[in-house]
Amino acid sequence: MNVIFCMMLLAGVVAAAISGGLNEAQAALLSGGTEAVSFCLSMAGAYAFFGGLLGVLRESGVTAEAARMMRAPMQRLFCFAPGEEAALDDICVNLSADLLGMGGAATPAGLSAMRKMAAAHAPGEPPSEAMLLFLTLNMCSVQLLPTTMIALRAAAGARNPADITLPTLTATGVSCAAAVLLCKFMSAGRKRRV
Amino acid sequence: MFDSSMILPAFVVLTVLCGMHARIDVYGAFVRGAKEGLATLLQMLPYLCAMLTATALLRETGVLLRMETWLAPVLSALGLPGEIAPVALLRPLSGSAALAAVRDVLKTMGADSRAGRIACVISGASETVFFTGALYLGAAGLKRSGYAIPVAMIAYAVGMLAAGWMISP
Repeated sequence: MNVIFCMMLLAGVVAAAISGGLNEAQAALLSGGTEAVSFCLSMAGAYAFFGGLLGVLRESGVTAEAARMMRAPMQRLFCFAPGEEAALDDICVNLSADLLGMGGAATPAGLSAMRKMAAAHAPGEPPSEAMLLFLTLNMCSVQLLPTTMIALRAAAGARNPADITLPTLTATGVSCAAAVLLCKFMSAGRKRRV
Repeated sequence: MFDSSMILPAFVVLTVLCGMHARIDVYGAFVRGAKEGLATLLQMLPYLCAMLTATALLRETGVLLRMETWLAPVLSALGLPGEIAPVALLRPLSGSAALAAVRDVLKTMGADSRAGRIACVISGASETVFFTGALYLGAAGLKRSGYAIPVAMIAYAVGMLAAGWMISP
C-alpha cells in the first residue's frame, strides 16, 4: 500500500513537472481531501441504512444460522488435511459474513481460521491445499448485495442504484467458480509431481 | 418479468420479517447496525483522503489518461470500455483507490453509462487481492503464497470478462 501511494504521488508530480502542469497539480493536491470528505458525506446515509439492515440480520441470528448451514458443504469443498478441521467453524462464519457483506465480522474469523489451519502443520511448511483455497476465496469477494457500490451509485444519481446487483452477483459467482476450479486443478497437478 | 428495483425492497421486507420472527428489537438492532456502518465509513475517511488526493493528482496531471490509452486497446479487445482502466488496475491493489476511481468514472461518464455500470460491477465483484493475501498469510505466519495470487488474478480477469459480457452496450 505504501509503495502504491508513494508511486502515485511521485508519478503525478513528475508528470506535472514534465508537462508544465504544476498549477493543476497544486489544485488537485489541495482539493483531494475536500473531495474525500464530501464523498463520504454523500454516502453516509446509504451506509448507515445498510449497516442497520445488517444489524437486524445479525441480531436475528441469521448469520449464525447461515454459518451452521454451510458446515456440511464446506467440509466437502475444502478436503482438509488432518488437524485442519478445527478451522471449519471459523471458515463458515467468515464466508457467511462475507456473503452478507459484513466485512468487519468476516476478517477476524478468516484470520483465526488461517491460524488454526497453520497450527495443524509444522512451521515453515508451504501452505496446504485447504489453506490456499480458503485464501483464494477470500481474495475473490463473495457478496450477495454490493452495498458500497449501491451507495456509490445512489450518491452519483443513478436512476436505479441497485440494478447492478444481479450482474455483480453473477460476476462474483463466475470468478469464484473459476478460483475453486483453478485451485483444485493446481493441487491435483502438485500431487502428481510429488 | 423480473424487475431489479425489487431487490432492495424485497431485502428490507425479508430482513424485517427475520427480525420479527426472532422476536428481537428490530429498531434497536437497526440503530446499532447503522452506528456501526457510520463508524466504518469514518474509519475509511483518512484512507479515502489519501487516495482521492493521489487519484486527483494523477487525473489532473494526465497520468490516468495515459494509463487509459495504454490499457484501452487491451480492454476493448476483451469487450470492455477503456474508461474503466484505472478501476481495473487499482482494484486488486487498494479498495479506497478503486473506490475513488469508480467515483471518477461515474462522474465523467455518468452513473447510468455502460462504463459506469461495468466499473461498479467489477469493483463490487472483486477484492483487494494483494492486501487480503498479505493479511491472511501474515496471520498464519506463512511466507510463501503458493499459487493463490496467480489464481486469484485469473479469477479477477474472468470476473471482469463476465461483467463486460453481462452489461451489453
